[in-house]
Amino acid sequence: MRLDSIAKVIRSKNAGPCLLTLDVMLPDEATFAYVAARIDALRRQVAKRYGRSQNEVAVLPFAPGLAVKITLPRDVVSGDAGDRDVYGAQQHAPLLDIEL
Amino acid sequence: MTAIGRLLDDFARRRRPLRSLGASGQLGYGIPTPAFEAGLARAPDMIGVDMGSIDIGPAYLGGGKMAPTRVGAKRDLRKVLSAARRLDIPLIIGSAGSAGAKPHLEQTLDIVREIAREDGLTFRMAVVAADLSRAEVKQAIAAGRVRPMDTMPPLTETDVEASSHIVGQLGLEAFRRALEADADVVVLGRACDTGIFASIPTMLGFPAGISMHMAKIIECASLCCVPGGRDTILGVLDDEGFELESMAPNRAATPSSVAAHSLYEQADPFEIREPSGRADLRRVTYRALDARRTRVAGATFEPAERQTIKLEGATLIGHRALLIAGAADPRFIARHEEIFSAVSRVVRDLVCEDATEDYRLGFRLFGVDGVRAWAEPPAHLPREAFVMGECIAPTPERAEEVIRTTKQYLLHHGYEGRLSTAGNLAFPFTPPEVMIGAAYRFNVFHLMDVDDMARLFPVQLETVT
Repeated sequence: MRLDSIAKVIRSKNAGPCLLTLDVMLPDEATFAYVAARIDALRRQVAKRYGRSQNEVAVLPFAPGLAVKITLPRDVVSGDAGDRDVYGAQQHAPLLDIEL
Repeated sequence: MTAIGRLLDDFARRRRPLRSLGASGQLGYGIPTPAFEAGLARAPDMIGVDMGSIDIGPAYLGGGKMAPTRVGAKRDLRKVLSAARRLDIPLIIGSAGSAGAKPHLEQTLDIVREIAREDGLTFRMAVVAADLSRAEVKQAIAAGRVRPMDTMPPLTETDVEASSHIVGQLGLEAFRRALEADADVVVLGRACDTGIFASIPTMLGFPAGISMHMAKIIECASLCCVPGGRDTILGVLDDEGFELESMAPNRAATPSSVAAHSLYEQADPFEIREPSGRADLRRVTYRALDARRTRVAGATFEPAERQTIKLEGATLIGHRALLIAGAADPRFIARHEEIFSAVSRVVRDLVCEDATEDYRLGFRLFGVDGVRAWAEPPAHLPREAFVMGECIAPTPERAEEVIRTTKQYLLHHGYEGRLSTAGNLAFPFTPPEVMIGAAYRFNVFHLMDVDDMARLFPVQLETVT
């Protein structure tokens, strides 16, 4: 299933100037359980799409919010020369068509 | 008697729930009046506002500028200051002037004094600056007491010298010292947002874990609601937990919306860190009181083994000039990479005839790679694209020279297969070159051990009339 067909929210933002944090919020317990059971596959795909090694990508299920949080280093520290997204608010796009 | 004195007295006589009003998560961009007034009608014990964040990038910290306009900041400050004085309750402001360094703090205090003068207000104000001297930070580096955060390299003395301002993110204890100095209004430089709303609760003996958890939520005003927004929120704290209610009737704090808020701009949704320790959210429960109110309980506090402060600093990297243009020629769009490289070489040969290549010139083609450096080219090229040239050079004049030269040669560059020989670019206006001023980068984002916060960050008292 494509992530953007099952998630309620897919968003990105800085967590400090060095890290990007992506939230995938699911609509219900069943969908959350489906994604939470595929954390390793998700980490692999995220690493590939963001050009990172798997150990740079943290994927954490957050049951109270029916969400999965993904955190990885930014390519450029926020606002430094060559940055393209100072707030990191548009870096979620590569997640949208991940198949799980 | 000051506002905090009155509150402490009241609690000494009779212990009761504490009512905190989160007026705005980003002061200076407007506080919607209906929800704010609704909050004031609920007899709050304090008003808190956060003015800052590191998310806005390095230019504000580096350049000493506020992110909102002075007019916007003054309008919002007047709103919260008048209300707090009218109700005679403490007003707590954190991360003054966006980035919270000395120039930001001074601009904020200047506005506060101006409002007091214009509106005939008199109050006692406690201020804590967050700036650290270069000597202090260098000593800490030499003593091995500074460590990088996240992906930053180790901090060097050169970084410290180059940084225009270095601030420490003040914590709960700095807010407490300011309040304990007996004040009506507390203004801090760069500070953890939790301290704004957790300082009075911990002074009154409420458990630190739930106090910090509530603080972390209400500092964003009604962002934890559905739909999330900027409206004022009320947090009512007791010894077992807290209740959240947006002061805007269309916004609901539901168990799932409040739980999901823990994810926002945080790498770890299970904890909240601040200099004195961390709140652990692993055992938190969220319970609906009705359709619009949620009760939260269960956060615990673990004091830190050693006190640390998060340092932030930004350094000048040059002056920035932009070229703004559009393109609609499919051949130009398809070959943009080689065109940009060729033009960069042409420009270099011209502007470096009697100077070194002391600048950085880059291009973005929005529609293709403006927002991300994608690994793969797009499946389809866009019909139109926005072209942005960016030069960072040691002086504004040099940046302007490079970008104006770039404009001319990019406009007329002859590439293979070109049909549109009169010009490659559409300028939406002229001049299409924009000088946008000094450019900065974060060169300090580190953790420093601190033994004595009060020595580094003393409280200054002032009677404002």
